[in-house]
Amino acid sequence: MTYGFYPGCSYKTEAVFRESVEAVNRAIGLELVTIEDWNCCGATSIFSMDQTEALLLTGRIFALANRQNLDNIVTTCNACYTSLKKCYKTLKSDRDLISKINDRLAAENLKITNLLPVRHLLDVLYYDIDAAVWNRNRPKNLNKLKVAAYYGCQLTRPWADIDDPEQPVIMERFLERLGYETVDHSAKTLCCGASHFIIYEEDCLKLTERIINEMKRKGARLASTICPLCQINLDAAQKNFRGMPIPVPYFTQLAGLALGIDPNELGIKKLLVSMDYELKQIL
Amino acid sequence: MYDDYSWNNNLFYNGFVMNNLQLQETFFQNAAAKKILQCIQCGTCSASCPLSDLMDHAPREIFALIRDGEMLEVLKSNTPWFCVSCYQCMPRCPKEIPVTDIMYLLKQMAITHHLAPKYHKMPDMYKAFGQDISRYGRVTASNLMARYGVKHPVDMLAKMSLGMKLLKRKRLEILPQKVRDPNQIACMLERKATPEK
Repeated sequence: MTYGFYPGCSYKTEAVFRESVEAVNRAIGLELVTIEDWNCCGATSIFSMDQTEALLLTGRIFALANRQNLDNIVTTCNACYTSLKKCYKTLKSDRDLISKINDRLAAENLKITNLLPVRHLLDVLYYDIDAAVWNRNRPKNLNKLKVAAYYGCQLTRPWADIDDPEQPVIMERFLERLGYETVDHSAKTLCCGASHFIIYEEDCLKLTERIINEMKRKGARLASTICPLCQINLDAAQKNFRGMPIPVPYFTQLAGLALGIDPNELGIKKLLVSMDYELKQIL
Repeated sequence: MYDDYSWNNNLFYNGFVMNNLQLQETFFQNAAAKKILQCIQCGTCSASCPLSDLMDHAPREIFALIRDGEMLEVLKSNTPWFCVSCYQCMPRCPKEIPVTDIMYLLKQMAITHHLAPKYHKMPDMYKAFGQDISRYGRVTASNLMARYGVKHPVDMLAKMSLGMKLLKRKRLEILPQKVRDPNQIACMLERKATPEK
């Protein structure tokens, strides 16, 4: 099976995703084939303005993946995941719409021949990778720190196919497989404010404060995220709150640490809330 | 559409304005929209909404207003623009109304009929996002903020310190990322490529 990879706009720099995803994939031998010449999925912005344009943008990604004969599309960002899934669901039930989109894509010699399933990298790492792979070079003290898993909104909702829409456990099970100890908390899928955080920061700070406080109350010393927007919102917001901030690494960075990869290769230094203290404890 | 600065400015719009009844008819042409006729007004959506405090009318009220035919009130309200698309209301709705999708539909209608509230900043953000896509095919955070900052310089300055922090950690791309041929994207979307200022 060839995994097609749709990185999304923030993957390379704004998010610190690239370093850790590449390092982890190298270590476990998972090959992701990047979809060539990918374009932005349009996220919630284009769906808010023009449904047809949003479906064209996402449709083009499906067509590009078809051109490369990929078997599915793997994403790392919740917003990309939901946009692509939304396109998949809309087109699946509407053959006419596919042909209309194909007409527009014809200028680039692209065509949607086969609607590929869309998956999140967490889903792939959890279900497709052998559990024994993860404990080869595990550092001894990994279970000293409690990790709170934070899913954000658009991974489990509105699809509810990977896991429960409100109380998912897939990331906890994955982190436990890696050797971390997780905490159970009630802020797993609360909204962080997403793109409204940029403009209506004061109102959205209440949302992030509730999430961070809940995690800290349950004893978490790390918050594991899966979405670039959640990461930056939780990471940048914490300077406004009282008390010790908690670092907000990606699940792939935590996976990298569990595989014994050097933290510098995982981009952990690029997090806004420094993780140095926690690293000393677990490594 | 995105190059026309008047699209969310109803004050200067002199075109044909639909009345409540016509707008309601247009709204109910959408298949998903018909589902709100089953709304039992339980308020689960309003209670689930993270930003309902900021809305003129919480989602439950919006559905009641639509059914009463107060479409102008609905489309001029800030409610759909405060929808974060977190989808919390959707799996919770006992009548399985696709609340978030209806908010998308209301936003699209407000734009088409030039009724979006002009004091709300989200339309400008979405528009900047759309311009970035038609120009480059991909979105770059620094570029997006600069484009949005032309209209809202105070907001952009407030984000400068975060920008500097990210820059220091090499987490900010300065040059915009592009697809191989951005013109193709603009062609596909049937827009003219946005000229760079």
